[in-house]
Amino acid sequence: MSLKIDTRKSEGVTIISPQGRIVFGEEAAALRENLKRTLESTRQVVLNLAGVSYIDSGGLGTLVGVYSSARAGGADIKLTGLGQRLRDVLQITKLATVFEVYDSEQEAVATFHRGAA
Amino acid sequence: MAFQTIIGPSSGTGSGVFPTLVFVQGNEQRVINLDHSPFGVGRKVDKDLVIADPRVSRDHALIVSENGVFSVVDQGSKHGTFVNGERVERKTLERNDRLEFGVREVAYVIFNPQHGTTNSAREFLSQISGMHISDETTDLEKLVLFLEAARKLNTIGVLDEILMTLLDVTLKLTRAERAYVYMKNAIGELRLAAGRNAKGEPLLDDKTISHSILEDALKSNSEFVLTDTSRSADLTGRKSIVAYDLRTVICVPLRKPQVQATRDAEAPAGAVSAEVMGALYVDSRFASRDISGVSNDILHAIATEAASLIENARLVQAEEAGRRYQQELSIAASIQQRLMAVTIPEVPFARLAGRNLSCKEIGGDFFDAVNTNEGLTIVLADVSGKGVSAALLASTLQGMIYSQLTAGMPLTDIVTAVNRFFTDKNIGEKYATVIIARVQHDGNVEYVNCGHILPLVVSNGEIQRPAFGNLPVGLLPDAKYKSDHCQLKPGDRLVLVTDGVTEAENAHGDFFEDSRLEQAAKTGTLEHIFTAISTFCGGTPLNDDCTVVELLYTG
Repeated sequence: MSLKIDTRKSEGVTIISPQGRIVFGEEAAALRENLKRTLESTRQVVLNLAGVSYIDSGGLGTLVGVYSSARAGGADIKLTGLGQRLRDVLQITKLATVFEVYDSEQEAVATFHRGAA
Repeated sequence: MAFQTIIGPSSGTGSGVFPTLVFVQGNEQRVINLDHSPFGVGRKVDKDLVIADPRVSRDHALIVSENGVFSVVDQGSKHGTFVNGERVERKTLERNDRLEFGVREVAYVIFNPQHGTTNSAREFLSQISGMHISDETTDLEKLVLFLEAARKLNTIGVLDEILMTLLDVTLKLTRAERAYVYMKNAIGELRLAAGRNAKGEPLLDDKTISHSILEDALKSNSEFVLTDTSRSADLTGRKSIVAYDLRTVICVPLRKPQVQATRDAEAPAGAVSAEVMGALYVDSRFASRDISGVSNDILHAIATEAASLIENARLVQAEEAGRRYQQELSIAASIQQRLMAVTIPEVPFARLAGRNLSCKEIGGDFFDAVNTNEGLTIVLADVSGKGVSAALLASTLQGMIYSQLTAGMPLTDIVTAVNRFFTDKNIGEKYATVIIARVQHDGNVEYVNCGHILPLVVSNGEIQRPAFGNLPVGLLPDAKYKSDHCQLKPGDRLVLVTDGVTEAENAHGDFFEDSRLEQAAKTGTLEHIFTAISTFCGGTPLNDDCTVVELLYTG
């Protein structure tokens, strides 16, 4: 499998950093499982995609799926670390209007505290 | 006028277990089951086969069976008994032997002929069960051999045939009245798989079967359980035994045969841990013959061979099912191919070409073209993921879009309906990027782009990318869709591609990208784009389907 997933906490927010390719199949499934498990214990997740070299259509579907169910469950996933390619994809698919995207991890984490305050 | 009896596998009342005689007299033919021995032939009216001819003696000959081998024995007839033209006193019969009794040519009998149209495993088994293999071969061992042969013949429904034959053999060996095979179903309940009585008639499950003994046998570790109710007082109170006067019940648990772990010295000798598949149940009533004296050797043989026989039969069945599944899949794939095959409509103002390069898995790309009063509409879609699930959705999507296009629905309504369908059905993370473009004779193009790669308009060697877009279909239930317009001049080309094109990878892990696509589209047509892709990729196989649709507006 060409995906490794690191998880850590920063200021009470869970930061998930996948490394590798998010593609249809076991990679997308691994990310889905990881996010689902994380969302059982927290509602504040930042997904840092800086280490992701490629997301195919299946991987994108997984992202949207997990994002939608998180929102439905009252949780929030914020994206950061998007490369140019992924930004283009989100632009073409108009998903940039669906996801909350931030330029840096700190910024994404900070918005949770602002929202909570 | 003589009538003819048609010989065929379905003729007669026989179960197919017994060999047959075909009696031919003039134009008349008759099939007789050799279901008992001795079988009398003669002029007397009480003979099994009566031949009314003065040259036939009153007690002419007998056909006898010993250990499954049939022989004809002359009873001192005046004009003799002939096998294949040779006068005999006694002769072992082989398949297709021609028997004549006193009268030559006019009337004769063919022993157990081969049916030309035999195709059932049962027929097959019954035919070879008459064969003489070896004196040491038991009936069950024969069955194993037959099963192998049946497997080679790719026979369907082998398991049922094997079960029936197994019951017949068991009844023959034990001389019991009734025999049943129970098999465990998926949730571990015992279900009747086959039942036969000593007359070879099929039996259904009934209350007279002692289920308590059956259950006890399955729980025990014994190879077989023989219960003589007259000798065990505690059993006489059991319901079915009392009600139906059962005398002897034999139960053989059928355990999945295990590979002998001879190297594993740790394994305790004689440990029975194998999974129980079912049970063979045989019984007799008091009023009937006593089967409590059935030898342990016979029961041992049945116990050891029946299970492996059934397991083998199951394997054959699984093999067959797998083969059929593969067949179904390839039929499905070819149906999909045909659904996806596009008849390109002829229109006076444009020429359309489309091409798909599939990667090794079935993909979720499709394109379609529909000409209606509203114009020529091109559809290109890419369902996320690969394989059968993507292909299935692609077919559904194509059908929905096609029917709505022919109904003259507005493009935005079509994608809204499709989005609703996908999200309502909750098919989990599956979505599609779709672009639908409707070209009118005046060159006006209305397009709705749902997350798809931007279309290319090639005009005077320049590339434009009409950028208006929407969310893909199937991701968000409340997505709103809007269309946009662009204008084609005569000689302009509209090029639509799927992301398999821009994401085609070479050996270095580089993508074909929009820049190369634009370069290729600028200088050449569809074929040129494909050449550019394959040159770029070198030998690297495609990860995803590549589809390119090109419309040349001629005006």
